[in-house]
Amino acid sequence: MVRTSESVLHALRCVGAAGTDTIAEAVGTSPAEAGSALIDLAVDGLVTFERGPFGGWRITAPGQAADDRAVARELDTLGARDLVTTAYQGFLELNPELLDLCTAWQLRTAEPDRIVAAFTDLHGRCAVCLGPLAPVLPRFERHRGGLEHALSRARAGETGYLADRLDSYHTRWFRLHEDFLVTLGRPRH
Amino acid sequence: MRWIRPLAAGGHPAVVGAKAHGLSVLARLGLPVPPGFVLTTDLHRAVRATGRLPRSLPGELATALDALPGRAGTGPVAVRSGAVVSMPGMLATVLDVRGADAVLGAIAHVLASWDAPRARTYRRLHDVPDDAGTAVVVQAMVAGDRDERSASGVAFSRDPVTGAPVPYGEVAFRAPGVAVVSGTGTTRPLTELATRNAAAWAELLAALRLVERHHRDVCHVEFTIESGRLWLLQVRRGGVAASAAARIAVGLAEDGILSRTEAVGRVDLAGPAVALRLGAGVPVLTRGTGAAPGLAAGRAALTADDAVRLAGHGPVILVRPTTSPADLHGLAAASGVVTFRGGPTSHAAVVARAMGKPAVVGATETTVREGAEITIDGTTGIVAAGVHCGVTPGDDPALKLLRQWSTYGLAEN
Repeated sequence: MVRTSESVLHALRCVGAAGTDTIAEAVGTSPAEAGSALIDLAVDGLVTFERGPFGGWRITAPGQAADDRAVARELDTLGARDLVTTAYQGFLELNPELLDLCTAWQLRTAEPDRIVAAFTDLHGRCAVCLGPLAPVLPRFERHRGGLEHALSRARAGETGYLADRLDSYHTRWFRLHEDFLVTLGRPRH
Repeated sequence: MRWIRPLAAGGHPAVVGAKAHGLSVLARLGLPVPPGFVLTTDLHRAVRATGRLPRSLPGELATALDALPGRAGTGPVAVRSGAVVSMPGMLATVLDVRGADAVLGAIAHVLASWDAPRARTYRRLHDVPDDAGTAVVVQAMVAGDRDERSASGVAFSRDPVTGAPVPYGEVAFRAPGVAVVSGTGTTRPLTELATRNAAAWAELLAALRLVERHHRDVCHVEFTIESGRLWLLQVRRGGVAASAAARIAVGLAEDGILSRTEAVGRVDLAGPAVALRLGAGVPVLTRGTGAAPGLAAGRAALTADDAVRLAGHGPVILVRPTTSPADLHGLAAASGVVTFRGGPTSHAAVVARAMGKPAVVGATETTVREGAEITIDGTTGIVAAGVHCGVTPGDDPALKLLRQWSTYGLAEN
């Protein structure tokens, strides 16, 4: 997306309620710039900020509608609908396997080393699946980078980065899944 | 025949697969199994070694199809995988296949599903050798969606969550079996079959009692009723929650299926302490699958924002059709979560476990009112009306009874 405010709005859509830093990381910009864009979006009624222990920035219903329009327009402008659809089909094949792995990890139904190795193998296939999107829609390259970051932390021994934290491989995968659904205008089943 | 065996002939599970083995047992017990045959794991190993179906297969297949009673090779068949070790939901099934060429294609498709990446990963994690292979079961198609007197379902010989000695399951009227197994259809409690089709219900109960006595364990079957006539498509031992184990063991002993000594041996009496559970007798609102253990009570919130708002005034249970990242702050604010779709490997289940919150997924009834007080049991999948205290598994009367049998030498009955 060309405009930072549109990228920020869309990132908030995929991440869910979040603080400024999380959105800045998701967009690949500075917290100051993301914060400024979020305040502008709030003035337009597209996002709100809630205080309190479970607060943060949230997208509003008009914000979702605006994001739907912006994402669809971008996809048509780039002529990238087929490309994203193909990648999404590849993603959907990987998704149950990723959920198997997260569950095996959390329920300790297989050896930890094997599970980490299987995550690594799956990530390689995910990277192949997302590869064609990188030059067209850079945010998918950022998804890949975020996943890779979580995986490398897990491989270095911080195994909570697989599925046990809110910035885990699974959480980032969940966001990527949401991005595909929103981008293609599909409901979650 | 080199590659094909009649279903009724049975055989070692390593050769015919667990599904065909189970079906041959059903047939020998005199229970209704659609006529069919099985392509052995030898075939699959040959195909994996050579990269193609053997030349002798089409001839054998045509003969076997022609031999199906009343079908003469022309009626539709179901082509299902049948691995030695269960690989739930990973291998392909092709239904309603007509004509020998199409059946051959379906067989190749089922065999190829063995080497799908997800299945390979599953085997690597769980020490299943890649060359074990799957058998393929071909049976005359029975249609649970044929007419008003048709249905499909899954039935347990005892309640798989509480262990109570009553059949439990789900049935989808006028629906194909896939609607029940995949959880995509609208299912009803199994007991509704009693009023809709008393004859099939009685026959099903008798079949459950028979397979339970044969296997000397709780069992569950997949069934289809075609125009009023009951057919069994699969039988498996167990498949119940750990929470049911003690009561099932006691029940099997009381019914004379197990000795008390055997019943004691079925349950880990010194097992690790597990999560709190709902006691018996709570008013059950709905049941799903327990996906993250523990007990949580609070007011039902139907959106993430409401969960955050209500959480300022007391504990909240987030109740959602499914979850997306937009629900995460609601889940963080809530004491537990209920979803109507998805299974124990859904995003919601993974996130709930990460947050250490009880979760019930795939709950069947969707009429939880906003603000109503509910209690959820993330071990058993029960959602109860009202606020309830838990029992520790040590308080389980069945477990106490087993301990008494074990401790006081009462096991020798």
